[in-house]
Amino acid sequence: MSHHLLAFFTIMDNQGGIAVTDPPKFDLDLYIQNYKGRTRFDRLFLIARSSVPLCIDALKVAIAEAKRGADTQRYREAVECLRIAAPSEPEAVFDQAWLSNQEAANRIETKRLLTELKGYKNNLIKESIRMGNEDLGKHLESIGDLNAAAEAFSKMRPDVSTSKQFIDVGRHLVRVSVQRCEWAMVSAHLSKMGGSQSQEEEFILQPYIKIAHGIALLGQEKYHEAALSFLAADSAASSSNYNELASANDVAIYGGLLALASMDRSHLQQQVLENPKFRTFLELEPHIRRAIAQFVSGRYSACIAILESYRPDYLLDIYLQKHIQTIYAQIRRKCIVQYMIPFSCVSLDTMNKAFGRPGQPIEDELADMIQSGILQARINTIDKLVTTIGTNPRVQMQEAALKSAEDYERQALDRLRRMGISAADLELKGQKKMGGHPLHGQSELAMEETLG
Amino acid sequence: MDQIAAVLLDFPPPGGLADDVQYHAAAHTHSQKVERLMVLPEFREHALQLLDHIHPADHTISHLGLLMAARNVLPQADLLTKITIFLSTFDRRQIRYTGKAFSVVLGWLSSGALFPASVAVNLITTALLRLDPTGSILTSHHVALVQLAYTTDTIEPALPLLEKNIVFYPGAKKIYETRPRCDMELPPAAYVTSEYGMTSPLSSNDVLQYDLLRGLCFIQRRSWRQACEALERVITYPTKDAFSCSKIMVEAHNKWILVGLLHNGKTPTVPATTAAGPQKAYATLGKPYHSIGRAFEQNTAEVLKAEFERLGPQFWGEENNHSLMLLVLQHYQRWQVMNLRHVYTKISLEQVRACTQSAETAAPLATVAEMEALVRQMIDEGMLRGVVERRADGGGPAHLTFVSPDAELSEAAFAHKMLGTARRLRALQPLIKATNERLATSRDYVRFLANQQKKEKEMAGRDYDVSFVNQVEDEDEDLMTGVMMGF
Repeated sequence: MSHHLLAFFTIMDNQGGIAVTDPPKFDLDLYIQNYKGRTRFDRLFLIARSSVPLCIDALKVAIAEAKRGADTQRYREAVECLRIAAPSEPEAVFDQAWLSNQEAANRIETKRLLTELKGYKNNLIKESIRMGNEDLGKHLESIGDLNAAAEAFSKMRPDVSTSKQFIDVGRHLVRVSVQRCEWAMVSAHLSKMGGSQSQEEEFILQPYIKIAHGIALLGQEKYHEAALSFLAADSAASSSNYNELASANDVAIYGGLLALASMDRSHLQQQVLENPKFRTFLELEPHIRRAIAQFVSGRYSACIAILESYRPDYLLDIYLQKHIQTIYAQIRRKCIVQYMIPFSCVSLDTMNKAFGRPGQPIEDELADMIQSGILQARINTIDKLVTTIGTNPRVQMQEAALKSAEDYERQALDRLRRMGISAADLELKGQKKMGGHPLHGQSELAMEETLG
Repeated sequence: MDQIAAVLLDFPPPGGLADDVQYHAAAHTHSQKVERLMVLPEFREHALQLLDHIHPADHTISHLGLLMAARNVLPQADLLTKITIFLSTFDRRQIRYTGKAFSVVLGWLSSGALFPASVAVNLITTALLRLDPTGSILTSHHVALVQLAYTTDTIEPALPLLEKNIVFYPGAKKIYETRPRCDMELPPAAYVTSEYGMTSPLSSNDVLQYDLLRGLCFIQRRSWRQACEALERVITYPTKDAFSCSKIMVEAHNKWILVGLLHNGKTPTVPATTAAGPQKAYATLGKPYHSIGRAFEQNTAEVLKAEFERLGPQFWGEENNHSLMLLVLQHYQRWQVMNLRHVYTKISLEQVRACTQSAETAAPLATVAEMEALVRQMIDEGMLRGVVERRADGGGPAHLTFVSPDAELSEAAFAHKMLGTARRLRALQPLIKATNERLATSRDYVRFLANQQKKEKEMAGRDYDVSFVNQVEDEDEDLMTGVMMGF
């Protein structure tokens, strides 16, 4: 690694970013071809900031991408990064002429659209006002003013007249909200989109809604719901319907990983492997399919090995990056739990062979899992054994019975006491009647004094 | 003198009395006669001689009268003997007619001037339990006793009384009791009243103080479960309005959190029966304690130690919780060891040492030997169920083996336990009956019942209204959505 690159990643690290040193398995150009719209730059920029081997390449593509658009801020950020990471590259120099031209053009365009919209509003023609707002929103989005764009798009809503327009408004708002990572808003906009559409529209819209909803749920860490949403997406519609958000490959990865993290074996078999709609997606990412199949057939270490080999790829994904650590940990824990089920006693050595990672003994991980209640087992560190403890319904019944009897007794006494106090008219009440009884306000004062 | 003796020996008549009603009338007149006698100067003169002839168990009322009169003339040693004999042998039926004098004698004891504290506590406990064997009613003597026991640190002799569950309180409201006072079936609340002089009137403050001091006594004895229960009674004390809260309650709450940590290793949750006013007060005034509770539940001792030191010994001293807090710090590591039993069946002491921390230093113990000493102490105290073992061949480091407690009970043992609970519940029956009778004669309760019944009748009519309103609202909503869809 050159020292420039090192300096760049040190800065990224300080900003809380993740540095991925292993090269991913995908080809950058082919990967980015799957997407359209502003997500292209976002993805490239994320890869540039996270992947050491792809950093410079990705930055160059990102700069080219930014120059094709109108968002000058993005261009500035990308060039700034490249100047730190590789100052000798020709792209690392600011194209001042393009910048000032573009900024001037942006200003003029915004002004023009605003005056136009004002004109439409004066004429009170609904359709024109809607189009005016839409144009303004699109322009604002393209120059990176997402806040104002969202506002403009939501102003379209009162003037929609056909269901197609209705859907367009929804799509605009969802897209902008996704870019702003406002996951709750994404869900809210999506829920407004459902409703009366023709069969054909429904067919095109279904995967879009399911995928966007899945992404929103993933962002909110609701992994199981997100998995179900991805799994319900219909693969028959072309990916051009939703590639401003994610590619078909992404759907397979998101859906597969989340299902693996949140479902048990029989559900995985039924809802993922035997799901005809999702199968087409899975065919795009055969290793995900393989990992799930391995898990279902009980070869947990193989499953983990496959996933680990793809970890760098997933760490470079815009939506997955933040969650991959948790998702992988969940899958790993599930594997360990499933592995233990058929045994009453396993030696720590065997566990280490199956799940061990160099330098990290399995024992601590097991202890954590037992402590948090995921695994019902006990560790014997002297004889190096892990014993599972089955739940004994008899013991539970006896405990519950004794506890409820005890509670009953206590409650009975407590009620008698309360009635006794009430019968003797001894309840706590205002100061005047009780004479010298310290009240709430007074005691607070006294306490404050001691606290001070 | 013979005349006086004749009056004193007049009751109870040698042949006994036919029924409770007659007994009541005779006892009542007799106690009045004795009271009249007591003011006479001759009575006081002869009291000394008579005292030896009137037996306390047979002629309780008379003996007590003499004892009162002889208080200042009897030699100290004799007086003490007489009081002791009287309090442990008095007749349970007769004593009900001489409450005022009885209270005076108990007052001598609890003032601490006559007897050494240990004897006084013992005697008061015996006397009160003889008066009311169920121990279910609170008197002013209870409050004085617990104060004496706690301040002089003679808790043990008072335990038989302190461990009783109080459910009756001498109150302002008159109880309508048709049976005579001497009926042995009577609930204690019917004869232990301020009207009969058995107790002076109590305020809610006294009641709170009694339970708080009980809690403190149990804390002194390291009996965490009982302390928790006693303090919980203070915390959940009923209030009439939504804002009153006593300072005693707040104090109890704060101690209760610390005791809860010692007892269960985690912060207890405020019972649902707590009134609204105290709940608010606990939330604001108990903040330092809540943060101690949160720190106690963490995996490292650093926060707990920092929190303790941030508030400083002065704060804990002013709150009267310094020694309790030191115990909490000391118990932190113990609970860490206890929690290991959920994860391990056997673990080497070295590992225990490495993964637990002392809250006093916020670091693991220095040597395995110290760890072993702590673990052995916990086992000896009965806190931890386990054994410290070494390998069979004698070599290798020592390790701790946890003994699993959740073994299945045998059918017989289980039945035995259930039976025990059932028996205890059945023992509550007289209390429930008494409370029930009390309620039935309470005007407020009858009014409440009548209101309740009236409301139920009205509800039957109102149900229709509610459903009708709901229907209208539903339609309203439907109309709105219809409009929205049209857009």
